[in-house]
Amino acid sequence: MIAASLNSALGRGGLLLMLAASVIGALTIVLGVWQKDRRLLKQAPRYAWLAAAGSVLAVIMMQRALITRDYSIAYIQQVGSGDTPVLYNIAAMWSALEGSILLWGVTLAGFTGAVAWRFRKRSDDELVGWALMVMFVVTAFFAVLSFGPADAFQAGVPVAPDFNGPGPNPLLQNHILVLFHPPILYLGYVGFTVPFAFAIAALVTGRLGEGWLMETRRWALFSWAFLSIGILLGGWWSYEVLGWSGVWAWDPVENASLLPWLTGTAYIHSVLVQERRGMLRVWNLSLLISTFALTILGTFLTRSGVINSVHAFGDGPVGSWLLGGFVVIAVVSLALIAWRGDRLRSPGSIDSPLSREGAFLANNVLFTVFAFIVLLGTVFPLLVEALQDRRTVVGAPYFDRLSMPIGIVMLFLMAIAPVLPWRKASQELLSTRLFWPAWCGVGALVFSVAVGATGWAPLVAFGLGGFAAGAALRQIVLATRRQGWRGFVGRANGGMVVHLGVIMIAVALAASNSFTHSATLELDTDGVVEWGSHTFALDSVTVETNAAESERVLKANVLLDGEQVYSPAMTTYLNQGITVGTPSVRTGLAKDVYLTLEPGAEPGDSTAVIRVFVKPMILWLWIGGLIMAVGTLLAAFPGSKRRRATDAVSAPIAVGGPPIVRDSEQLVTSDPVDDE
Amino acid sequence: MNSSINRRLKSWPGWALMLVVVVAFLAVGSTRSSGPQSPEDRVDDITQRIACPVCDGESVFESQNNSSRNIRNQVESLVRSNELSDDEILSFVDNRFEAELLLVPRASGLDALVWALPAAGFVLGMTGLIVAFRRWRADAAGLADPTDDDRALVDAALAADVDQDAGEGSGR
Amino acid sequence: MTTSVDELTEPASTGGRSGGRLAPFIALGIAVALIGLVVLFIGADPDAPAPQGASPLLGKPAPEAVGELDDGTPFDLSRRKGSWVVLNFFQSSCIPCIAEHPELVEFVDQQAGLGAQGAEFYSVVTGDTRANVEAFFEREGGDWPAIYSDGDQITVAFGVAQVPETWIIDPRGVVQARFQGEVTAEVLSVTIQQIREGIR
Repeated sequence: MIAASLNSALGRGGLLLMLAASVIGALTIVLGVWQKDRRLLKQAPRYAWLAAAGSVLAVIMMQRALITRDYSIAYIQQVGSGDTPVLYNIAAMWSALEGSILLWGVTLAGFTGAVAWRFRKRSDDELVGWALMVMFVVTAFFAVLSFGPADAFQAGVPVAPDFNGPGPNPLLQNHILVLFHPPILYLGYVGFTVPFAFAIAALVTGRLGEGWLMETRRWALFSWAFLSIGILLGGWWSYEVLGWSGVWAWDPVENASLLPWLTGTAYIHSVLVQERRGMLRVWNLSLLISTFALTILGTFLTRSGVINSVHAFGDGPVGSWLLGGFVVIAVVSLALIAWRGDRLRSPGSIDSPLSREGAFLANNVLFTVFAFIVLLGTVFPLLVEALQDRRTVVGAPYFDRLSMPIGIVMLFLMAIAPVLPWRKASQELLSTRLFWPAWCGVGALVFSVAVGATGWAPLVAFGLGGFAAGAALRQIVLATRRQGWRGFVGRANGGMVVHLGVIMIAVALAASNSFTHSATLELDTDGVVEWGSHTFALDSVTVETNAAESERVLKANVLLDGEQVYSPAMTTYLNQGITVGTPSVRTGLAKDVYLTLEPGAEPGDSTAVIRVFVKPMILWLWIGGLIMAVGTLLAAFPGSKRRRATDAVSAPIAVGGPPIVRDSEQLVTSDPVDDE
Repeated sequence: MNSSINRRLKSWPGWALMLVVVVAFLAVGSTRSSGPQSPEDRVDDITQRIACPVCDGESVFESQNNSSRNIRNQVESLVRSNELSDDEILSFVDNRFEAELLLVPRASGLDALVWALPAAGFVLGMTGLIVAFRRWRADAAGLADPTDDDRALVDAALAADVDQDAGEGSGR
Repeated sequence: MTTSVDELTEPASTGGRSGGRLAPFIALGIAVALIGLVVLFIGADPDAPAPQGASPLLGKPAPEAVGELDDGTPFDLSRRKGSWVVLNFFQSSCIPCIAEHPELVEFVDQQAGLGAQGAEFYSVVTGDTRANVEAFFEREGGDWPAIYSDGDQITVAFGVAQVPETWIIDPRGVVQARFQGEVTAEVLSVTIQQIREGIR
């Protein structure tokens, strides 16, 4: 019992430390700015480290409670179980509401600490001070959530000493991805707090030049990459676990993660226009603020029980808090933008729609409309219920139908934009630069027709995918020819690598959505069933129970194409009485064969009914994700020596002037008309 | 020599050839049929458009519970009898279950908003872009006569660019 | 440098000024949209009303529910028409189930006091064994029938994913209410009373 109270007490102590440190940190900064006291400002980083330490302590105590199965805590009663394997027991922390808020809190405190560390030498700078203050306030908000409405350390009802909890939701304990998907997704969500904090700081201090953009460039880039990878891992998990053979269901929880990704993607593109031309200031601020606000709104939607979803968990007071947080963010940001309106007016103009800037603007319109559609479709049932008291469902077919044309136009932009110079492009320049990329597109089209693809939409998608890939490759080839290995690094070149990954994902989605075939097959142990160029033979139906007697796995062992045995299964979690289908997948570069077991089979049977899905190109989704990750790294690490060389020269105009660092977009403008 | 061929290739003949190839292959690819759709694939298509009656936000295709299975079996028997079109099967299911089960909102009444608003958003965005470009063009025209300030600004910007180029040059 | 840019824009920005005219309207539009959104969410906020769950089954005839009682007699929900039926989906090791159990005991006592008017109460066993359930009732009290069904059909038919849930079915066999999570005796009896009087 002493151990039990220790977990709870120290955990709460950690949270209290996190709360107190962030509140004091925020107050210190405000006071420091108020009294122009640099000493106070310089103290602020210490509070960030204290807050981070507090949150880490809370997480350690939560993990300790999970490991020791400390059933005196209500949360452990909910998600803990003596039968959960070690790894999933770690992941159990984020398998329900309170723990996931705790995970959010520790990530946020970590980011606050990282910001304090990165800018420790400039902590007496007002801009950094205010940014840190915003981070402190958000951290304090999540500490309060963890302390009050989503209290992870609340005492539970007394239970018998031999009590064994149910463990996390079965869907969250049969695939290794549950260990990675939530933390990585949260790194993405929470990471956008940093550029948001700097945006607010820029508004408050009135230093609205491009300085703060440069400071947060990589923070935004990495957050975006984590968000992208987190979303992809979620799709992967869905594919491997849920058994309906899809990666994306347009479920409200999935949409909630897509929303900030869309505005974030719009931001990392349009920010280039501001860095280069000093334009679109209000727009970029709005995108950053929307991205951050949408992470909070998304959390509200999925954690308040307002919108029902299979993935949603929890309802209760935490919803009102998150909604309140969203309102505060929106009101404060709008007020600040209105207050600084005069300073935000951008000088200069964009000369031609046919230019890099023009393409970025078109990209922004598309991403914003896309985000609007996703938000609308997600909340539309609420609107109908409020106005007409009627239940409606807006599901995947709606989103599919609207996202298809948007996706095609985006691919087209990805094909054109990389070859466009800044300012203005002539027709001649376009026709020479686009020539070979366009033939890449034609090649992709011809190839897909040759291998039997049909239907205009997927064909257009494949053709444009090839076109866009050609444009991206052109940039990389030209840059590497000129600069050797440096042609891969830097924002423009790394960005093109990211584009290649995105194109793979787009093409893979188009292919797998358009050309999936399925069948329900009745197999028995005597014969071989043929379907769609594959053969299936049932070997046996077996049952296994794990050592702890908490899981019973019923497997149909199917010999696929006479080569290897795949075992789609039904796993029954005996503690919860929930049965979950577990698919078995043969993965290949061209297509996946995805097997699931239909209910009704008994161990020892000589027959079983399985469902088979043949899905093309699924593997390319994950390869594309990997390439995106690599591309982001390349984009974020330009030759830093090169930059230092220019620093000294252009340092005098650093404040508010045109951007100093332009990486290698320069190359594109200076791109010779042709390369002989 | 080489370059002039290259340049000529990349002007209209090359593009015209490309257009012909694209149109031809698109026409072939999109008109040829991939054989009649198998009943199984038809069932998948239809069930993806029906909401599972007892779960939250999943389609019958995705969800694995019994009521979804029932609907799926029903759709399957309708498809096998091959008398109704996809839309007729959907409206049959819709009427049979009374609840709102169709995942594609209708285009009438309040539900039409869910289609109209995205279109409106897109039009608004595009109009905004066009207006912005018009205005920028007008701005640029208004600045036809550069002032001294302008010249200073341009000089400064050029100087910065030169610095930048010097920096880039080291990599070349 | 910055100042020169600012000065420059002042005279030249015909566009800037018309942007100034437009900006308040854009801001107004955004503000209205945001307020609308927030009002929508507050309206839909499930914290405010009683913890009643939505279900497409509400107002519809109850789905087929066949099983076996703990004493071995068959149970068929469609045969229970004529009296109010309350189904409590539960599992012996679930914490909220343990927590709400005393309330259920109280509710069953109340209803027994109403005689023939009182509701019939059943626990629908969800993913649990007979031995566990019997030990649970032994330990926690209460002696109403528990229903076992093959493969938890009843739980599946009602679309119950997480126990405990409590459903109220009226004498015509129509589903009237669904409560997700813990309930209290008061909420249950008041709800039945309200439905009876046609308030809801």
